[in-house]
Amino acid sequence: MELDYDFLATTFLLVLTAVPVTLKLTAVSLLFSAPFAFGIALLRRQAAGLLQRLAAAYVTFMRGTPMVLQILMIYSLLPSLLNALSQTLRLELDVFSLDPIWYAYAVFTLNTTALFSEVLRSGLGSVADGQLEAALCAGLTKPQAYIHIILPQAMTAAMPNICNLTVNLIKGTSLAFLMTVKDMTASAKVAASYGYNYIEAYMDVLAGYIIVCSIIQAIFYFAEQHVGRYRLSRGKQV
Amino acid sequence: MEWRPFSPEYLLEVLPVLFPFLGVTLTVTVGTIVFGSLLGGLLAWAGKSRSRLLAVLSRGYIYIIRCTPSIVLLFIVFYGLPKFCLEVLETDINDYDKIFFVLVSFTLLFAAPISEVMRSAWEAVDRGQYEAAVSIGLSPGQAFFHIVLPQAAVVALPNFGNSVINLMKEGALAYTIGLVDMIGKGQLIISHNYGAYALETYLALAAIYLVLTVGVEKLCRYLERSFSPPRSAA
Repeated sequence: MELDYDFLATTFLLVLTAVPVTLKLTAVSLLFSAPFAFGIALLRRQAAGLLQRLAAAYVTFMRGTPMVLQILMIYSLLPSLLNALSQTLRLELDVFSLDPIWYAYAVFTLNTTALFSEVLRSGLGSVADGQLEAALCAGLTKPQAYIHIILPQAMTAAMPNICNLTVNLIKGTSLAFLMTVKDMTASAKVAASYGYNYIEAYMDVLAGYIIVCSIIQAIFYFAEQHVGRYRLSRGKQV
Repeated sequence: MEWRPFSPEYLLEVLPVLFPFLGVTLTVTVGTIVFGSLLGGLLAWAGKSRSRLLAVLSRGYIYIIRCTPSIVLLFIVFYGLPKFCLEVLETDINDYDKIFFVLVSFTLLFAAPISEVMRSAWEAVDRGQYEAAVSIGLSPGQAFFHIVLPQAAVVALPNFGNSVINLMKEGALAYTIGLVDMIGKGQLIISHNYGAYALETYLALAAIYLVLTVGVEKLCRYLERSFSPPRSAA
């Protein structure tokens, strides 16, 4: 099969220039969603009430529907909603010239919040109840107990899942081109459309994603070692 | 664009139009589960085999697929496979139905996680079970099918269910290469309405997907409970 190797090389460089967009989407979504996810995780660990049910319904919806559908939904809803809001509040805001990356941030943050809260919830669940009780008995306040005792242990358990979440989020950001965000997929698609070199272009995108994901997984490998450095069982158990 | 109130009636109106296309979506899902499990089984077997080359190939494949966004592989298969078949195998598959390309891509994607599920389930069953079965006179094949497989299947169920749910959600991408499944039909309806009632249509689709995914989850949990050996009260 003949491939256009010149095009393959030039597009690969082009795809690499779009890597920061993918990383930006991933990092911003993770950072924005972290506090909300933690809130939902804490909330859902308490006895069921109206708030807990709402949180559970939100998580179920986000986990149970395809990401594309969420993108299509928010991309069709949010601009006109913002426009209506700015008109009623007379904000003089030109919503339709807003960089589409903001919509992408919104979608991925909403989605990641739900998935992240599940990861944190299982992480918190892995810490024995006695830890909190012991910390409180020793005279720590509840926030202190969470920050110094519970979270470090919960994070150790949650790290592999956070790695998975991040890798899946990176893969998920490949859909940002549906919102006309110029990420790796979009720039390759544009480059390919001149000469119909789609195969080469998408192979470049694939290579780009493999490189990015490999680097992220390597970083998480070291982060896991770092977070787990106080683990008492290390060396004792296999 | 003027602001139009949300219309719940349209949501109910559009559901029966979307339902006939559920078949296409389910065909993709079931087809992928069948072919993907076969390929996944092969991968799991290759990963465990004594041949170094096979094991490395299997692990490499799983690693690459783990880093591959579904949409990118879908596009590579959609544009690349016809060219490959035409130039290397000298068969023209350009006029094949789009569902063929969707099935090929998702089979390639689904095989990787499912082989991991199979591998971990296989490892979860104690080696002694197989040895005991062989020592009482079962053939290795019988021991595998009658003793190891039923136990491994129960262990694999929750992860298998998760993979199927992920597959269903990823399967929604098939519309991007022009397959008219539920989402594809939804997009057609919306453009037929000149972009009106988009949110209602998407919500109807979301509701259908929600029922499907929650259903699969419930089914897996039920199967898991009914197949697990009864536990003595502790």
